[in-house]
Amino acid sequence: MAIVNRAEGRAYLTPLVGFLLFFLGFPAAVNLVYSISTVSFETLRSPSLSGFGNYAAVLADREFWGAVSFSMRFGVLTALAECLIGLFLAVFLTPLLAKRSYLMAPLMLPLMVAPAMIGLMYRLVLHEFAGPVPYYLFEWFGDSPAFLGVDNAFRTLLVVEILQWTPFAFLLFYMAYAAIPLEVREAASLDGASALKALWWVELPLMLPTLVIAFFIRFIDGFRVFDNVYALTGSGAGGSTTSLSIYIYQAFFKGGAIGKAVAASVVLFLASLAVLYGLNWITGRGRR
Amino acid sequence: MLNLLRWLVFVVAVLAMNFPVIVTVITSFKSARELSFNPGFWIGEPTLENYTRVLGETDRFNIYGYLFNSTIASLIGTGLAIALAFPAAYAIARSEAGRRTLLPLIINLRAVPLIIFAIPLYMMYQWLGLLDTQLGLGLILTIVNTPLALVILVNAISDVPSELDEAAKMDGASSWQVMLMIIRPVVRPAVVTTFIFGFITAWNEFLFGLMLTTSRAVPMTVGASFFFAASGGGVQWGTASAVMVLGALPPALLGLLMYRQISASLTAGAVKG
Repeated sequence: MAIVNRAEGRAYLTPLVGFLLFFLGFPAAVNLVYSISTVSFETLRSPSLSGFGNYAAVLADREFWGAVSFSMRFGVLTALAECLIGLFLAVFLTPLLAKRSYLMAPLMLPLMVAPAMIGLMYRLVLHEFAGPVPYYLFEWFGDSPAFLGVDNAFRTLLVVEILQWTPFAFLLFYMAYAAIPLEVREAASLDGASALKALWWVELPLMLPTLVIAFFIRFIDGFRVFDNVYALTGSGAGGSTTSLSIYIYQAFFKGGAIGKAVAASVVLFLASLAVLYGLNWITGRGRR
Repeated sequence: MLNLLRWLVFVVAVLAMNFPVIVTVITSFKSARELSFNPGFWIGEPTLENYTRVLGETDRFNIYGYLFNSTIASLIGTGLAIALAFPAAYAIARSEAGRRTLLPLIINLRAVPLIIFAIPLYMMYQWLGLLDTQLGLGLILTIVNTPLALVILVNAISDVPSELDEAAKMDGASSWQVMLMIIRPVVRPAVVTTFIFGFITAWNEFLFGLMLTTSRAVPMTVGASFFFAASGGGVQWGTASAVMVLGALPPALLGLLMYRQISASLTAGAVKG
């Protein structure tokens, strides 16, 4: 006997499904309609269908491709660095942390602070007069680069994002590393494997699913980055730090180009579906 | 020797990853006079004047309003997410309903950049009169929190042996009663975890706060950025630091107190996601 029968099950799911349909399904439909319409703030309620002009405009916009390129590079580089550093920390610090779990707290603190707030804090950290980093660089080396200038802004933002989110990757790897059964480790050492060999041939393969998932999660979060970039540099000098999210935001709020912003949203939606499909395909294959 | 190296790596990692927070806390205890000649890591004459100014002077920058807005919107966004996800999680854990399509669909929602819904939501809110209200912001935060709430609750309820439900049903309880009176108390720790994690996530949200509020319902994250924008070139760094410390404090305290639960829920979301 099922504890919850079919009709009851539906009833329990209805509030959640209804809520999501209203707040996401309806906007998704509006997105689709507006993306093929001519619309402005004055004609919000009465968009007139106009075909795929908005998509053509977006796909022909150099700023759009600049934003795609920024988001892509940002997502890949931050996810890679976060996973590598996180993996190193997890493996190297496990002997230290296993007995003193309270040491986890300071490592996790960056995850509790709003990315927007972190962005604002770096304005102080990097400020040419009030910030300690330029101060000490001047003190020690007599010179300090313009961290938020056109040449360096991208690298600065990479470091900001990586330092905040490495703890996330670290945490996942730490858990996965701790979950490897003791017998596996003992068997490896009985067979004469050195610690490094055991790590490379036994432990890392066991952690592979977690590595893949962590990379994808961090890639997606990096790709859609908004908060810390917006708070720290906005779109940057000459649009040099326009991520795709910032592009959409500005097209809508600053430019009033609603059709274009919405079309870019749909493109982003399709791209994220493709990534998700890829992820599910990879993890699904891993399970079989 | 190796152990010493581990400690060294640990300390460097903690200092580097928390660097902006550390600098901000230090700066918040410096007077404006001291800041003009000492941006370094030490404090010559520690002072609380930045905090008294931020907390005392409320006509130009009302931090209480921002803190209050964040609290209300986060409570709505967390409470409602749990209220919606709990029955759904119960149905998914105890029947076939929704397991095959709905659960994966909602989990994948976590990976969809929500900004793609922002523009229609903005128009919808304008129409419904929800722009610049705490309720409106709270409803969006509900969407942000729903995927993880559902995953954590489905996992927790699935771990409860279904013999418990069956015994209660034998005694004549309806499934609604079983859910509220048998399951709810058993999975309370998971609900608490969901709440803490959801509250932190909601408090730290920025994009929708920026788009959907302008004055009355502005949350702390957006309010802090107003403080920078309003003061133009001449930011008072001591005061600004005090604002950032106070704004980041609630989720940070909550997180530091409950870091064990949070690490568990982070991994739950990742393994299933």
